Amino acid sequence: MKKFIVFIFCLFFSINVLAYDITDNIYGIDYSNSNVKIRERNDSNKWGVNKHWDINSNNLSNVLSTPLVDSSKKVYDFADILSDEEEEEIYSKISDFIEKSNMDMVIVSVDMPYTDDYKNEMFAADFYDYNDFGIDFSNYSGILLLRNNYSRDKYYDMYTFGDAQLYFDQSRYDDILDGIYSYFTSSNYVDGMSKFISRCSSYYDNGYAYKYRNAYVDSDGYIQYNYHVPVFMCLAGSSIITLITMCVLVRKNKMIRKATSAGEYLVKDSINYREHTDQFINSHTTHYTVSSSSGGGSHGGSSGGGHSSGGGRHG
Amino acid sequence: MSKVLDNKCPSCGAAIHFKPELGKFKCDYCDSEFSADDLKDMDKLKAEEVKENSKDSYSSYDSYNCPDCGAEIIADENTSATFCVYCGNTSIIKNRLSGEFAPKYIIPFKMEKKKAIDAFKSLRNGRPLVPSSFVSEENIEKITGVYIPFWLYNVNVSGTINARATKVSSWRVGDTHYTKTDYYNVVRSGDMSFNRVPVDGSTRFNNDMMNSIEPFDYSKLIDYNHAYLSGFLAEKYDVSLDDAFNDAKTRTLNSTKDQMLSSMVGYSSKNITSSNLDSSIVSHEYVLLPVWMVNVKYNGEYYLFAMNGESGKFIGNIPLDKGKAFIVTIISFVISFFVCVLISYIFYRMGA
Repeated sequence: MKKFIVFIFCLFFSINVLAYDITDNIYGIDYSNSNVKIRERNDSNKWGVNKHWDINSNNLSNVLSTPLVDSSKKVYDFADILSDEEEEEIYSKISDFIEKSNMDMVIVSVDMPYTDDYKNEMFAADFYDYNDFGIDFSNYSGILLLRNNYSRDKYYDMYTFGDAQLYFDQSRYDDILDGIYSYFTSSNYVDGMSKFISRCSSYYDNGYAYKYRNAYVDSDGYIQYNYHVPVFMCLAGSSIITLITMCVLVRKNKMIRKATSAGEYLVKDSINYREHTDQFINSHTTHYTVSSSSGGGSHGGSSGGGHSSGGGRHG
Repeated sequence: MSKVLDNKCPSCGAAIHFKPELGKFKCDYCDSEFSADDLKDMDKLKAEEVKENSKDSYSSYDSYNCPDCGAEIIADENTSATFCVYCGNTSIIKNRLSGEFAPKYIIPFKMEKKKAIDAFKSLRNGRPLVPSSFVSEENIEKITGVYIPFWLYNVNVSGTINARATKVSSWRVGDTHYTKTDYYNVVRSGDMSFNRVPVDGSTRFNNDMMNSIEPFDYSKLIDYNHAYLSGFLAEKYDVSLDDAFNDAKTRTLNSTKDQMLSSMVGYSSKNITSSNLDSSIVSHEYVLLPVWMVNVKYNGEYYLFAMNGESGKFIGNIPLDKGKAFIVTIISFVISFFVCVLISYIFYRMGA
């Protein structure tokens, strides 16, 4: 019996060791120098996940790779880009936003090796989903700003969850992310983040984005659309169809038409070309850049919950 | 010189008429039937000579000028009573008209009068905006078989067109979309021929209407003989060869441009920058072509329809039933509105 208990203890210990290894392998973030307090995830605390996500073998590695933090702090400066005073200032503005909007707001800085936008998005979604963020717990509404301060390729993006997704379409994402670009590239984070909060607050005041005026967010965080008859489009479409129909029917009554060609009398064998030249003159090439932004619309995270993203900016 | 057929029955001497449904001449008194060749071969045949296709040849026919509209109508000598095909005025032909009138060919009527009536009565088929009472046989004032004078032109078009053409290709590298436009100067020079382009030689008939009953099957053209006019009206041309050619010229030049443009293959766009095309008459023929003219009176207004007497193609402008048009518009709008709603719902479900 004693041997069995030792075996179980060793097995549990080995799983935790494995979990930390997985953590390092997935995101490659070193939290050891961070002042952010990280709590331990284990089976006894349900891996620190209080939301309704189903934690299983498919997403356990993501859960264990995500630091479990105090969700009331709202500012998580793992990359140490803010002073304590600046963190307090940002926290104060976030609190005002939360009180006003009843939506959560989280700002995270990390130093994570950049491979692609998707990796940043996955980390942001996991960080939000596997911590207790989200004021309205029916769909965990909130906004997360991620600053990846990886020295070789600095990057930032904003992510929305729950009903917060409905307030931001691509143009609003672009406006916010482009608006803080100069601050972030000059490492003036406190002003950049302050502007971020301010712009989010303004768009909250403006209400849902036009694109999502008939949409809602389900309990899993995915944007769904209510069906509304597009009256104007249907009126315009049916008017055009009716006009074409009537033109065709009236034309059937008007059978007398002027002949303008004599193609049916052309003698096919008589066609004789003496000159048949196609001379190249010049060439002209134009180009334009296609936006690669992936923002707008719900994306699925490892939790199974949906979220939206702004498209991200490098710099 | 060839002998023309008389309009007397070789058996009894009564008047005979060409029957389109039989393709033969038939005597209404003794029921004898004769083909054109039979009549030619018979000893009893009275012949008179006509000069073929010659400007200095003259023939005499019964004719009259309509007292109401002044139209000049020509008919065979056996026609004793007729009416003006233009205004419907009934007249007795007494005068003989002498004029330059020597068609080379004629297409005899193949479609009989009943076909024209049936074609008129079937106008409602597939046309929901036709007034219900319009196609009643009672509205038909007159149906007249008329041989319309046509000029048939054999035309040669020669010349050059220059066009600016483009080829557009596009591709994408990463986030950049490229569009390349290649510009070409394209030249086509050459000639082509058009065979027997018809132009109505009478100002009495609407040119667009005569265009609309084309085409005629030219394989049915036979040597002209005035005996085929029996039972029908005929018109002599009053548009000269050169004046009528303007219409054929316009049509052949347009078709030549279309043909040359269609030979410029592989281009995204083609615009003619200059053209120097000339259309010339190679030869011509003066022919009579069969047309049934149907005069309809409806609600105090007259409507004129025409049927190709060879092919049966029936044309004309039909009045609109405004009440039906309103109802059809409402029905079409309602149905199409629900179709639009259905389509939008399908898209919604597909996107959900």
